[in-house]
Parts: sequence; C-alpha cells; structure tokens
Amino acid sequence: MCLDAGLLASVAHGTTVVTNAIVEGRGARVGLITTRGFRDVLEIGRQSRLHLYDSRLPAKPEPLVPRRLRLEVTERVGPDGSILIPLDVNELAAIVKTFEQEGVESVAVCLLHGYANPTHERALKAALARHFAHVSVSSDINAEFREYERTSTTALNAAVMPLANRYVGELVDALGRRASGAALHLLHSAGGMMSVEAARARPLAMAASGPAAGVAAATYVALRLGLGRALAFDMGGTTTDVCLITDGVAETAAQRRLAGYPVRLPMVAVESIGAGGGSIAHVDVANALKVGPRSAGAVPGPACYGIGGTEPTVTDANLVLGYLNPERVYGGSIHLERARAVTVIESLGRRLGLSLVEMAQGVVEVANANMLRALRLVSVQRGYDLRDFALIAYGGAGPIHAGALARQAGIARVVVPVHSGAFSALGCLVSPLRYDAVQTWRARLDAWDAKPVEDRFRELEERCLAPLLDEGIAVERVALERSCDLRYTGQNYELAVAWGDDAGALRAAFEARHRQLYGYATGESVECVNLRVVARVMDTALELPTFEPAESRAGSGVQRAWFAEMGEIELRRHPRAALAPGRPVVGPALIEDEWSTTLVYPGQRCAADRFGHLVIETGV
Amino acid sequence: MSRPVHPVTLEVVRNALYAIAEEMSVILMRSARSPLLKEAGDLSSALTDAGGRLIAQGRDIPIHLGVMAFTVKELLKRVPAERLQEGDVWYLNLPEVGGNHLPDVKAIRPVFAGGRLLAFAINLAHWADIGGAVPGSYVPWATECYQEGVRISPVRLFSAAGPDREKLDFLLSNIRGRDEREGDVFAQYAANDVAARRLGELVSRYGADTLEACFDALHAASEAQMRAALRALPDGVWEGEDWLDDDGVDARPLRVSVRVLIKGDEATFDFTNTAPQARGPVNTTSFIACSAVYYAMKALVAPEVPPNDGCYRPLHVVVRRGSLLDADPDRPVVGGNHETSQRVVDAIFKALAEALPERVTASGPTTSGVLIFGARAPADGRWTILYEVHGGGEGANAARDGASAIRVHMSNVMNTPTEVIEAEYPFRIEEHSLRPGSAGDGTHRGGLGFRRAYRVLAPEVTLTSMLDRRVVPPWGVAGGQDALPFRITINPGPHARDFGSKATTTLRQGDLVLIETCGGGGWGPPARRTAEAREQDRREGYV
Repeated sequence: MCLDAGLLASVAHGTTVVTNAIVEGRGARVGLITTRGFRDVLEIGRQSRLHLYDSRLPAKPEPLVPRRLRLEVTERVGPDGSILIPLDVNELAAIVKTFEQEGVESVAVCLLHGYANPTHERALKAALARHFAHVSVSSDINAEFREYERTSTTALNAAVMPLANRYVGELVDALGRRASGAALHLLHSAGGMMSVEAARARPLAMAASGPAAGVAAATYVALRLGLGRALAFDMGGTTTDVCLITDGVAETAAQRRLAGYPVRLPMVAVESIGAGGGSIAHVDVANALKVGPRSAGAVPGPACYGIGGTEPTVTDANLVLGYLNPERVYGGSIHLERARAVTVIESLGRRLGLSLVEMAQGVVEVANANMLRALRLVSVQRGYDLRDFALIAYGGAGPIHAGALARQAGIARVVVPVHSGAFSALGCLVSPLRYDAVQTWRARLDAWDAKPVEDRFRELEERCLAPLLDEGIAVERVALERSCDLRYTGQNYELAVAWGDDAGALRAAFEARHRQLYGYATGESVECVNLRVVARVMDTALELPTFEPAESRAGSGVQRAWFAEMGEIELRRHPRAALAPGRPVVGPALIEDEWSTTLVYPGQRCAADRFGHLVIETGV
Repeated sequence: MSRPVHPVTLEVVRNALYAIAEEMSVILMRSARSPLLKEAGDLSSALTDAGGRLIAQGRDIPIHLGVMAFTVKELLKRVPAERLQEGDVWYLNLPEVGGNHLPDVKAIRPVFAGGRLLAFAINLAHWADIGGAVPGSYVPWATECYQEGVRISPVRLFSAAGPDREKLDFLLSNIRGRDEREGDVFAQYAANDVAARRLGELVSRYGADTLEACFDALHAASEAQMRAALRALPDGVWEGEDWLDDDGVDARPLRVSVRVLIKGDEATFDFTNTAPQARGPVNTTSFIACSAVYYAMKALVAPEVPPNDGCYRPLHVVVRRGSLLDADPDRPVVGGNHETSQRVVDAIFKALAEALPERVTASGPTTSGVLIFGARAPADGRWTILYEVHGGGEGANAARDGASAIRVHMSNVMNTPTEVIEAEYPFRIEEHSLRPGSAGDGTHRGGLGFRRAYRVLAPEVTLTSMLDRRVVPPWGVAGGQDALPFRITINPGPHARDFGSKATTTLRQGDLVLIETCGGGGWGPPARRTAEAREQDRREGYV
C-alpha cells in the first residue's frame, strides 16, 4: 500500500483475516457463559449430523468452546422478556478465576431469551469488562431467537475478536502515521462498509467480505447501467459464485454456515458451486461424463499450463475449441500449450467414443449445466424468472462461459465490467456505509399493536444511525429501511417483507411474496417474528473514468475455433482497449484485455459502453 | 437397456433432474406447517419414471429411501395408469400401498408429455396429526391400525381444475389442527406443481424419448455401482440380531434377526427368524425393511451411489408374512417406522461387524426418541401439539469416538430450540445438557446422551412416548462396552415416577418431565484407550 498523505480523504479496506482464522481454526481461546442448565447447547446444537451415510467423517464440527470453558450463571429470562430468576452476579468471581487460570482471551455471553431482555447480559458485560479486553454478548451481536444459532454466532465473534482487533489496530496505526485524518472503513459481509469501532465490536461481520467485495462491485455496475435484475457471476479456477441483485441491492442471507458453524449475521447470499476453469473432467463407472467437483486448481493446474497437470479440465476444453488465445501469456507467466490440452481431451474422448472436438464441447456443456443449476438455485427458487435477469460476468473464466449460459437460460444481456481483474478493489471503493440491526419481536398481525413496534423500530434505527452521525454524516443522506420477518402462524421459515403502513399492508405483501415463492397463499393468520433495519448512506461519490479507446490494434488476429452450430471457423480476436464505444462487434469473436477473455458467441453482438463495460446482446 | 444416450446429454439431464427434486424439497420444507416439516425436515421428494421406478431423490432421508421406491409402483396397482390425468395430484398414506405409517402422507402427480405418461413427482411429508385416539397420532396402546388415525386410500385431491374441496374437507374433518394440515396439503401440491413445470421444460428441450432413455441409463449406472461395491465384499453368510424393548402392549422384548448372504455382486437379507407380528404399534411393512437394508448397504459399502431403482436391484429382501416386518394390514404400525426400522439396521450392522470391521459403528440412539405433548387451549379447544425427537450418543467406530447428542442411521431430524418451545408451547425447559457417563467405554468411546427437562405450565397436558433403547442398551463392538439406555422420569425427587417408552399419561401444571437419552456404544477394548483421551474425558467432564 503506497499512500500519499494529505491527499486521502478516506481509505476503504477489505480483509480475509477473519475468514481465514475461522476456516483454519485459529480463533482465540474463548470462555462462554450461559444460563444455568444450558452450557452444553453449543455442543448439542440441533442434534443433526453432517454426513448422512459416511460415519468415518465427523458427524459434527468440534465445539467452538471446550466444555470446561463453558460455565453457567443462575438467572432466567422468559420468552416475553420477564425476569423469572434474577441474576446472581456473585457467581461471576469464580467464573472469572477459572477463565483467567485457563488463559481465556475473549469471553462470550449468551443467556436464554437474551434478545427479549438484555438486562442480565449487559450486567455481565459490564462486570466482565473489568477483567477481559474482549467481551461479546449475544444481545449486541445478534438479538434473534433460537439459542444454538445465537450462541454459535456470539462465540465465533468472540473467537475472532482479539485477532481482528490487533489487525485493525495495526491498520489504524499505519494509516495514522502516513495519512492522518483519512477516515478508515472496513468492508463487511453484507456488501457495505463500517467504521473501525463497529469492526472492533463485531469483527465476525467481516467473515464473508471476500465474496461481498465482488458482489458489491457487480451491484455498483448494475445500478449504474440501470439493470433492475442482475446476477453476479464469478467463475474462477475452482468455484463459481452467483448472487442475485435486485433494484441495485444484492440479496443478503440472514444465516449461513462457516466451517460448519452457523453464523447469523447478514451476508451477501452467494451460492457457490464446485465448478470452475480448473474443474477436472472424468468418466465415472457408469460411463457418464462428469466435470468437477475435483479441481486442478492453480497447481498442478490445467494440462495446458504445462506445470504438472495431467488431467483434462474445462480450461483445456476451452483451449481446444479455440476459446482462449494460445499465443498469449496469462497471469504474467502462463503460456498455454494447445498440444497438451489436445492430448488429455483426446484421451478422454477415446473412452467415450467421441472425437476431440465433440469431447471438448461435451466438457464445456456439462460444466455449463452445473453452473446453470446454480443460477437456477438463486433465481427460480426465490420465485424469479431467470429470463428477466442480466448476467454480470467476471472472474477468470466467467466472460468465456457467460454468453453460452445466457443463451441456455434465456437471458438477453451479459455485461463484462471494466476492471474485472481488480473487481474486489472496486467493490471496496463503491460500497456504501451500511449498518444492519435485528430484534426478535413476536406478534400476530391480527392482534397488532402499532405503538410498541414503532418504538422498537426507532431504537433499531437509532442504533444504526449512531455510528453514521458520529462520523458527521448528515441524516438526510441516510436511507433507513425497515422490514419484518413474517410467516403463517406455526410456519418455520420466515419471509422478509418490507415495512408497510399497517398490519393490513404487511399481510398483503406477505401473501403476495408467499404466492410468488410457493405458488399459493391461504389467508391463514400471519405472525411477525423479527424486526429489521438497514441504514445505508445513499450517494456513492465514485464515478468511473470515461473509457478512451486506444489507437493501436495490437493484439488483433485470428485463430481457429469450433462452434456447434457453425463447425470450424476463423475466429477474430479484438483487443478490448481498441473497442470504440457504441461500435458493435458481431459474434463469433474473442475480445481480450489483460485480465480476461470474453467470448461473443455466434448470433450475439457486443459493444463497449462509455465506461468500457462490454455489453453482449445474446439475441434470445 | 434401451437406446444409448449421449454421455453429455445424460449428465446434463441428470443435473436437471436432481435440481428438480431438490427444488421440491425446498418448497415443501419452507411452505409446510407441521412443525416436523418446517423445523426438522421430516420429508422427502423424488421423481420416478412412468413405471414408478425411482430416478432422483431430493434431500434424502434414509427412512424414506425404500418407501419412495415403492409408493408409485403400488399406487399403479390400485389406480391403473389410464385413469391418471394431467393436473392430478393423488394423496395417500396406507401403509400397504408402498407406505410406512399413517402420519407420512404422500402426494403423487403424474407428468405427461404430449398426452403420454412420462414420469411422476412424489413427495412425502410427516403431518403433526393424522387423527386417531391421541393428539399427534402416536397411540402407544393401539392394537389395531384404525386407532392410529385416518387411513387415506389413494384419493385425487387436485385435478387440473384445482382442489376438490369436498374430498379435502372430508379428510381435514378427521384430523386435529385442520388449518395447519390444509397448509401441508397445499405445500405438497406446490412442490409437485413445480416439478411438473420443470419436467415440462426438459421435455421441450430434449423430447420425451431422450428423457426416458436417460432414466434407464441412470438406473443402469447406479445398478453397476452397487454391483461393483458388492463384488468388493467377501462372499459369505453372516448372522446378526438385536432386540426391541417391547411393543407398548406386551412387556417383552422382540427379536429382529437377519441372515446376510453375499454372493458375487448380489446380496440377500433374510429376516425369516424375526419375531411374529406384535399386538402393539411396532409392526412394519416390508417397504420399511427394504429402507433399512438400503440404508445399511449405502452406509457400509456405497455412500456415494445415487439412490434410485437401479441400485436396489442387486439387493434382495426376504420377510415372513405375519412377522414383525410384514404384518397384517390391520395391525398398528406407527412406531415401527422409526423404532423397528432402526433395529433392522442394528441387526445388519451386527451381522457384518466381522466382515467390515473398519466400517461398522457401535449402536447408539437407534430410536426416534419421540415425546409428544398435547395441550388444549381453554378458550377455543384448539390443540397445540409439540412433537419432539431426542437423539443421543453416536456409536464409536474404528476411526473415532462417537459424537454426542446426535441422530443416527435412519433419521436426521433436528431438535426444536428451547426458545421456540417456550414461546409457542406451555412449557419451560429447565435443563438441556449432556449426560456425563452415559457413553460406552472403548478404545474409542461412544458419544454422550443428553438431559432435557420440561416443566408443564398449562393446567393439563397429555404426554405420549414412542421410543426404544430404554431397556436393551446400545451395544459396543469389537470389545467396546455398552452404553446407558434411555430413562424418562416424571417429577424427579422423592416422588419420582419412571415413565415407559411407549406410554401415555396426563400431566398437571408444575409437573416436570426429565428425559435422559442413551449414549453410544464403545469400539475396541477400553484398555487400549490412550491416556491423553482419558485425561481429556476427565477434564471436560464427559465421564
């Protein structure tokens, strides 16, 4: 990082330090305090096993906190927030002593129904703060019912807190030395930025900031291009990540699993599948062609990299078909060797009685089928029609496959954004400041009392606004969105519905959404279980520079390629830098820049817009 | 087999079929009302070909493997294909029609392509009540099937014109909580409706002929994989047996016995020496015996083989008519579904322990651990039914200790969180913790069971239990020790009352029900357990 002090107004930072700590199990030693009788909730979990058939694999993840560090206090809160047994703070001394002897660095507190009344949790937090630098309490981290998921979220937050605080502290120091006065913000999992203080208190919110960065950039592109419905499509070497973007907002999920542990904080709802450029094609015992989930990764890599890979991959198939440029150097050092790709694809083809080209086309088609399943998962299962979406393709292999996928899915438009190789960095720059809050609130809509709900919403809004006002952001610049998690009474999956003026409006919106998702609505009683607020700073100052096409057409040329509908043809290569905005290239054509290769399929047209985004019209 | 299919088309179609089955399960789980479906996912969905042969299954719940493989075939024996029409959805729960027990209601939709029957979408959902003598429809003292609830012979509840309100009302009039159940009916309809639409899209892309050829190829593929797995086993005959505590009516243990014959690429499971049919509700249909066999073989030799009609072809199951595993149709069956089926798995694992020492796990909570609490609102008489399953300690195996507080083998249903129970039902949970010392010792020890205590807050609550492993403990294997069995105590203390595993009673406000679940059996001689492992058990308070 090279900073020119004085010129910087703000610094946006994304980090995978939290994610890596969780995946590698490098969290701090945590002590957990629970309600008496419930210290084992974290180990009991939901009593389901991870693998249905293979008992050699672990049935559950290791408990986040070992049993000897899970201790209990006498207290009890009821589901309505009433205090049934007052907290006995005197018991804390022995607990603190045990934790200190055991070298506990960070303490998590999760009491039953702590979301409904945080009094006891707050009292413990205040008392613990005198002994421990890091304390996480469940009503601060995730004020939502279902004790196992809340305990897991709180304990995981505690586990990453010391490490994340050190990291953020070093960042602040470094920045202070070189660019004092610049405001530092950190990217969180929901695709927004937060303050240093928020990141210190809730570091777990950074756990999915890796995928969030790319999705945030795609969201920005969707917004700027006026794409009402878009799918972020990030195809890399090993996996493909897909996320739905509606009206300029990336879809978020309220709960996901990380390394087997439930995490209940808003995160971009990325569906990830094990299919990428490095996915290995093979024939199974039943003579069916499979692609992935095994991947050659970067090492040994696809056979055509010539660095040790000996198995046929999707990238090898693309090279055989002429969808990659064999004369180019990728990633600074990788020369593609077509002969090696031909050898491995041919050998696979012999097993199935297919020619070289048929085999390569088969590998690409199966890979596309895998990805189509992921696209369906994020759209159709949420009640949307894929055909209404545009595909925003990035990642090393995304722009090669996007055109074919779009055609199969009936998608009319593909966008290959400019700077797709530095897309995550762009994501950090364009993400708005955003704070989320949730509060469990159980009430039936047919007995709806508006006043206390309004009071609760106000509290949540104040909580979300506080860090923004602290930074001097004018309240007019903040968009506050309220929503409720609603369900038919007795149902267990809630639907998030935007806040309406009254219970009648909420009910109508819920039934409309239920019908959209499941094809029916029944008119039964509807209940609310959670209230949610999102505060987002509306304007994003960043404007991308206008794209200036280069004079030189260096890099243009032709190569042989095969398409199912045309057979073998001469495929034209265009340097992306030389594409003048508004001048369409008619497919089939290959467009290259330093980061990626975009394939325009027969019958498709592609033009750069004024920012340099490539827009492909697929003609469906 | 019929026409060859292009290997690429096959893989693309296979992907699409699994996507459809998965989508069905998601829709069913999210939109259903019965607590078991919504929180616990006690449901399955699948596609079959026109002959009812299973092609693809969504979330596969092992207990439904065999059931789903037979239901459509059995339906077609009752309702000939000529009577089926576009837009039909048929519902049924008769155990003898490819079924298991009355609460598991199946919805079946025929799918046509250009007027020709191409496939079926089927899903199965466990309703929280199906009528009968007690709330939740688990009648531990039942001696005939008619006490267990409404018996739905195949009935067309939906046609292309929409729901048949008269039949629907007739059905719902026999069941507690009719609004909730109506929600379940519609959820099952919605899942099949999506499947029919998606299959239609596949037909328009590939044509019905190609799809049928793909179905055949998928069957052939799974069959080949299962045969390969069986060939890898040594030929031979192995015998095993295990015991159910009792049947809820007569207080004596019931034997489940199997003779496994492995020869070449086929295997036969002969249950002839199993106990005669019981008076109480632990009888099963042969379909359940098949489910247990399919599960056991998948777990032991072929976890990765996709379950469909093909992979079952090399597996032969022999049951004796009039025995526990193929009872007369008027016998009660509600508990057989998840108690006897688990004991069948136990017997097979025991039989193969010697042949497959690296794969067989010790026994554990091979029971559903079901407790059903029913409370009636004083104001309107509506029933609130809490149906809760209780796991225990997993059996240990050659690779590791058993996990604590978990479900094993035929089921993987989740628990209901304390915070949900306390908000929605008239109970306070006073404890939910591990049960130290409940595991069987061994080189690898079993997992721990757990304790959960329910305090009754309503004036009057009915409690029904339907579980097992309360008398006959989970066994250890290869020298490992047995674990502690289940125990249910009402009002622990000086006036404690031990409560049976298949019993019903009325509780009053203030009563406390403590369930202590079984641990898992150990694997290998305890003397070989490492000092470090013993030290850790002591430090964490597991023993």
